[in-house]
Amino acid sequence: MLIIKDLSKKYYNKTALRKVTLNFEPGKIYGLLGPNGSGKTTLMKVVAGLHKQNSGEVLINNMELSHKTKAYVSYMPTENFLYDSFKVRDLLKFYKDMYDDFRKDYAEELLCNIDINLNYKIANLSSGQVGKVKSVLALSRDADIYMLDEPLNGVDILSRDTILDIIIRSYNENKIIIISTHLVGEIEKILDSVIFLKDGSVELLGEVEELRQSHQLSVENLYKEVYKDV
Amino acid sequence: MFKLIKYEFIKKYRLITLILITAVAFNIFLIFRGAEGSLLFLIFSPIVLYILYLVDIIKMYGDDLNKKTGYMIFMTPNSGYKIITSKLLTAVLEGLGLLFIYFLFFIANSLYIISSLGGYIGLSHVINEINSFFSGNIGYQFNIVHLFLFLLTAMVVLIAFITTVYTAITIRKSLFSEVKYGGLLSFIIFVFINWTISWLSDRFFDFLSITTYNNNFEFLIDTGRFLPDTFYMFLLPIVAFALIQIMVLAAFSGYLLEKKINL
Amino acid sequence: MTLIHAKEGDQLEFNNNIPIYLQVIEKIKQDIVSGKLKPGEKMPSSRDYSYELGINFNTVARVYKELEMEEIVFTKRGLGTFVTESTQLIEKLRKNMAEKLVEEFVSGMKQIGYTQEEMINFIKSKNRIERNE
Repeated sequence: MLIIKDLSKKYYNKTALRKVTLNFEPGKIYGLLGPNGSGKTTLMKVVAGLHKQNSGEVLINNMELSHKTKAYVSYMPTENFLYDSFKVRDLLKFYKDMYDDFRKDYAEELLCNIDINLNYKIANLSSGQVGKVKSVLALSRDADIYMLDEPLNGVDILSRDTILDIIIRSYNENKIIIISTHLVGEIEKILDSVIFLKDGSVELLGEVEELRQSHQLSVENLYKEVYKDV
Repeated sequence: MFKLIKYEFIKKYRLITLILITAVAFNIFLIFRGAEGSLLFLIFSPIVLYILYLVDIIKMYGDDLNKKTGYMIFMTPNSGYKIITSKLLTAVLEGLGLLFIYFLFFIANSLYIISSLGGYIGLSHVINEINSFFSGNIGYQFNIVHLFLFLLTAMVVLIAFITTVYTAITIRKSLFSEVKYGGLLSFIIFVFINWTISWLSDRFFDFLSITTYNNNFEFLIDTGRFLPDTFYMFLLPIVAFALIQIMVLAAFSGYLLEKKINL
Repeated sequence: MTLIHAKEGDQLEFNNNIPIYLQVIEKIKQDIVSGKLKPGEKMPSSRDYSYELGINFNTVARVYKELEMEEIVFTKRGLGTFVTESTQLIEKLRKNMAEKLVEEFVSGMKQIGYTQEEMINFIKSKNRIERNE
C-alpha cells in the first residue's frame, strides 16, 4: 500500500511537486503521465528514498519513508545507473546479495528469453539492452511496489514490446506497478489507471477504460488535450 | 556490512591490480639502474601510492553521491550509517593492504640493496632479521609496539581526514543540495569543518595540558630523536581525538544520508 | 510459461479510442460464432490471456465477468472458464452480430444513395466475383 499526502518538493530554481496527494492500491498498474519537468521523476525518487521531500508524507505499508521501506520498493531510475565494469552476471549477484526478495532464477530466465547473455559487459550494451536489463532487474524483485521511470525511453520499438511483456508477466494482484512515461500510446493498453501530472500538481486522474468511455478518446489523445498548451 | 565492503572491492580491484602491476614494472625498471634506483623507488612509491589511495577513497564516496551509479547502493535497504561505515572500513582495509604491499616492496628492495652493496644474504639471515624485527628492538630504544602505535596513529589521523572530506560531500548533497555553486560551497564547508576541528583539537590538547608532551616535543626537535617513554603520551591523545572526530562526523553524515539526502 | 517472443499469431491491434474490454469481448464473440472457439472449450486463464494479448490483467478479468453475465462463458470453480455449451445461445449471438453488420451496411449504403434493390444486386455480383477468384 502506498499513500502520498500533501507532498511538496522544491529545488533551488523550481518547485517540482506541489501538495500532491495520491493513493495507490495493490493489483493495479498505474501510468504516471506528463511531459518532462512535470514532477514524475521527483515523485518516484522521493518514494524510493533517493530524494527528501520538503513537506508532506509518504506511507509505504503504513511505514514512514526510511531505509526500511526501500525493501518494499523496487525502483528503476530512467538513467543508466548500472556499473559499467560489471557483467550482467555480476549485477544479478549484486541484486541477490542486496535484496532478499530478488528472484535470480526468474531474472536469468527472462534474460535468456530476450537474448541477453549473462557474460555481456554493461559498458558494451546498446541503450535498448540497458533498458531491458534495468527492467528485468527491477521486476525480478518480489517487491510490493514497482516504480519504473520511463522504461521505454531510448529503447527501440522491438525492445519496447519486450519490456511491456515483462511488466505484464510480473504483475499480480498484490503488487502496485507505477510506470512513468510520455510515450502514452504504446503503454496505455497495459494500464489500469492514469495520473496526469502538470507542473508538479495532479491535473487529472482516473481509470483508463472509464476515461476512454467518458471522453471517447484514447489516453494518448486525452494526454494531447491536457498538455496542448505546454 | 560485509556485502557492502565486498562490492566496494569488486568495483575497484581492476584499478588496484593495474596500479600494482605498474608499480612492480616501475620497480623492476629502477632496479636495473642499481641500488640508487631501488632506493628511489622505496622513497617515492609510497608518496605516489598515498596520493592515488586518497584520490581513490574520496572518489569512492563522491561518485556514489554525485553520479547515477550511486543509486545502486542507495536504492538498497541499507541505512545511511551502514553505508558510510562500510566506506570507512573499506578505506581502512585498502590502506592496510597497500601498507602490506609496500612492506613487501620494502623487503625485496632492501635485500637487493644490501646484496648489491656486497653484503651476503642467506635465507636464514633474512629470517633472522625478520624474527628480530618482530621480537622487539628496532633500534635505539624503540620496539615493534612503538612502530605499531605510530602506524595506528597515522592510519587513524588519515581516516579522520577522510571522514571530514566525506562529511563535506554529504552536507553538499543534503543540507545544501538546493543551493547554487555547490562545488565551491562544499570546498568552503570542508575548510570550515577543518578549521573547527583544529580549533577544537587545540582546546583538547590545552585541556590535557601535558607539560611532558610539550617538553618532549621540544626535546624531540632539539635532538632529532624520539624518547620511547613519552612516545605514548605524544601519540595517544592524537589517536583519541581523531577517533572522536571520526565517530562524531560519521554519525552526522550517516544521519544526513538517512534523513536529508538528495541524490 | 511460453517464451516471450513465442506468442499466438492472432495478436489484436487495439483501437485505443474505444475501451479495450469491449474490443476483446467483440473478438471472443467473433471467435465463438466463427467456430474458432468450440462450445465447451476451455478459455485461457485471465493471466495467460492478458499476457497473450499484451494487455492489462484487470481488463481481461472484466471481459470474463461481462461475458459470464451474458452467459457466453461460464466458470467452473477451480477448473477455469469455458465457452458456453448452448448452441442455441451461440446461434442467437451469431444472428445478433449479423444483424448489427447488416444494419451498419444498410445505413451506410443508404447514405451513398443505394436503393434496396441495388444493394441486393450489388451483393450478388460481389459474391459471384469472390467465388470465381
